[in-house]
Amino acid sequence: MSGEGSAAVAWNHRHLIDLDVLTWPEIELILRTTDEMKGVLARPIRKVPALNGRRVTTLFYEASTRTRVSFETAARNLSADVVSVAPATSSVTKGESLVDTIRTLEALGAEILVMRHSVSGAPYLAAEIFGGHVLNGGDGWHAHPTQALLDLYTMREHLPGGDLHGRKVAIVGDILHSRVARSNIWSLTAAGAELWLCGPATLLRGFDRWAAAWSGGAIPGHGRFNVTSDVDAALRDADVVMALRIQRERMQGGLLPSLREYAARFGLNAERLTLAKPEAIVMHPGPMNEGVEIAPDVAVSGRAVITEQVANGVAVRMALLYLLAGAHEAAHAGEAIR
Amino acid sequence: MSPKRAPGSTRSAGSAGSAGSAGSAGSAGSAGKRAAAGPRVGQTVGRFEVEKAWLVDPVLGREGPGEIVVADGILESVVWLKGAEAAGLDDKGVVVAPGFFDLHAHFREPGFEDAETIASGSAAAAHGGYTSVALMPNTSPALDEPGVIERIRAAVRAGGSPVEILAFGAVSAGRAGEQLSAMGELADAGVLGFSDDGAPVRTPKLLRSALLYAGMFGLPVVDHAEDLELSEGAEAHEGYVASILGLAGWPVAGEVNAVSRDLAVLEDVLRDEPRARLHLTHVSTSAALDLVRRAKAAGLPVTCDVTPHHLALADEWIAGARRWSWEALGADGTSRDPWADGVLVATPYDTALRVNPPLRTPADAAACLAALLDGTADAVATDHAPHTVVDKEVEFGRASNGISGMETALGVLLAMVDADRLPLARAIAALTAGPAGIVARWPGVAATPVARPRGLTEGAPADLVVFDRADRWRVTPETLRSKGKNSPLLGRELSGRVLLTIAGGRLAYEDPEAASTEG
Repeated sequence: MSGEGSAAVAWNHRHLIDLDVLTWPEIELILRTTDEMKGVLARPIRKVPALNGRRVTTLFYEASTRTRVSFETAARNLSADVVSVAPATSSVTKGESLVDTIRTLEALGAEILVMRHSVSGAPYLAAEIFGGHVLNGGDGWHAHPTQALLDLYTMREHLPGGDLHGRKVAIVGDILHSRVARSNIWSLTAAGAELWLCGPATLLRGFDRWAAAWSGGAIPGHGRFNVTSDVDAALRDADVVMALRIQRERMQGGLLPSLREYAARFGLNAERLTLAKPEAIVMHPGPMNEGVEIAPDVAVSGRAVITEQVANGVAVRMALLYLLAGAHEAAHAGEAIR
Repeated sequence: MSPKRAPGSTRSAGSAGSAGSAGSAGSAGSAGKRAAAGPRVGQTVGRFEVEKAWLVDPVLGREGPGEIVVADGILESVVWLKGAEAAGLDDKGVVVAPGFFDLHAHFREPGFEDAETIASGSAAAAHGGYTSVALMPNTSPALDEPGVIERIRAAVRAGGSPVEILAFGAVSAGRAGEQLSAMGELADAGVLGFSDDGAPVRTPKLLRSALLYAGMFGLPVVDHAEDLELSEGAEAHEGYVASILGLAGWPVAGEVNAVSRDLAVLEDVLRDEPRARLHLTHVSTSAALDLVRRAKAAGLPVTCDVTPHHLALADEWIAGARRWSWEALGADGTSRDPWADGVLVATPYDTALRVNPPLRTPADAAACLAALLDGTADAVATDHAPHTVVDKEVEFGRASNGISGMETALGVLLAMVDADRLPLARAIAALTAGPAGIVARWPGVAATPVARPRGLTEGAPADLVVFDRADRWRVTPETLRSKGKNSPLLGRELSGRVLLTIAGGRLAYEDPEAASTEG
């Protein structure tokens, strides 16, 4: 897997909606391109003309500051023209359908559509309609590919040799409702990591069966992963620990007794982190509920790489915009959306 | 006529009242001359013959080579061929069967005529080989009082299709799940039974009342078994595929819970009203079918149906797989992994696949088939649920539930026959004698023509379908007569093109190609 066939792989995806279609060499291509983009970001003037005159539209149906700003910063760093569409100020609030909105944006010249939506699978519908490229900025519980790629990139920066093989990664939190967890399953099992998903049983429902079906590496190119409600087992000797946000709605839905109980049993605090390797890094996709899934002192400790994740997010998104924009249109005539 | 259709040769002639005017006898395999003015849809079939075809009569439990003659709308003769006459004939070509009976369809009129009308639905039914259809009452207004059934009957008369249209009345007023509908008046007006389909009968208490009250008329309650709390917000079957796709799960327990509630209430009610009857429609899970199997063994008056899509498709289609459910079964009978198998070929989250109950696992589909084979499931019903593009070309989780399925039901069952999963005679029985047998168990209608046996009965008005297993057709928006183009089978070829459907002695459908090549 990692290390194999990294040479001479060409980008041939018109859209990026989920990571399940990517081979490890393609993921490595993204990571190498991200390296180059980080080089750009290290310059005094962080701007290159790669996407000069190309039109990137962000269409965010869910509130998001960091992801939308990250995409828009990435697009501007590549000299693209950026249009930002937010439902609160658009005709979406007047009941316009997604399909009509996409057609309108295309007529207005959108070439690359960065989309976030609360319904799983919505970007596939957009991709069926849209003549350009769709880049998924997060859909429902389904996928958040750029987040998983920036997570992977950040882990590789901190691990010796940049290799995740046999490295233990523990993701703790609301796995059930998490598109970040789902996308990380694809990327980390492709990278050869020993992945552990951990949370209260109510927020893990279905993942045991998923993991069981995957045991033995049934999916070509992907390793197995573990699912547990035993947070100590998940954290023991971990190289990477990632906390996921716990939302208040989960209490109303009868899935959790209280945030206090969650923090006591699953929250990442300094004491619990002693189970992990001394050099283990702590990650969070944000936004954080400090004091719930992560203790404030852990979030700002030297082990936390949370702001690095944010910075790497811009580079990863620059890489994907660059690769998608450069993908040869003719090569995709009639190509299936997957 | 396509050479593939030989040796089963059909000839039809005559218009209403012109019996025998062009009905010359001909030799097997020769293309008959068609009268200049053949019968149009709705007209009595003057004379029609099929020579050397494969006849299936599920009432006699007989199938084999044979010939039929229809004269003046009556099935005049059914001849079973033997010896040399039958030589070379098998069940792989032209088949003659009794007209199909669908116990569960939505024709959307009144209220949603942009999705379907009585006329378009009847045309779709006839194209699918159906000659009788029972409509569900979730129209607008709901069919909860006799005025609505009169509107439907007026539309049937105006439409001119001979397809027999029956209707279920609502269990509750406005299908609101609170008070009983005008059940007595609806029974007087001739409803087949009562259902709040689209939703379950809301509470066990309401179900108890409905079973008792409907029992007075010898009519059934038809329940859509769903525990609305367990399925709240659900987008797909709870399982491996939904987990990966991030879709909210509709758990097996939601159907099991509802079916066990229904059976418990039925058992209780029977002590007071022995004529109470329960029919469970579109049962979709292995576990719920086991409950029905046990209840039947215990002698409870319960029947159930399964749909073509729950038999032949599975949840992996939402991820982009397009193999039949039986092709997705591992050697041990468990579901295979479409990601591991590399069979994800279509764009995921196709809203044509959003249906309630949801497409289940390949193992559940296999359980639906097993239930059909062992009699736990009495019939196949389509749950034909046409929708407009506006209601389907949206995000998966916001799409209306339902599959437009009347015109593909036969083809889907024939795919199972072609794969040696289902005997042809059992497939036909599930569409004919099966539903007729269910209705015959409802005391209020058992002695009426609705409950007729539905075999190839000489001397009765012709009610039959002729289709060619060797003739494949492609499902496209144009080939579907239904206004609802929401079929997950669009683009796919199915076997068993329907050549002709005769309902009550009158022409319901004739394949335009067959008609033109005979002209």
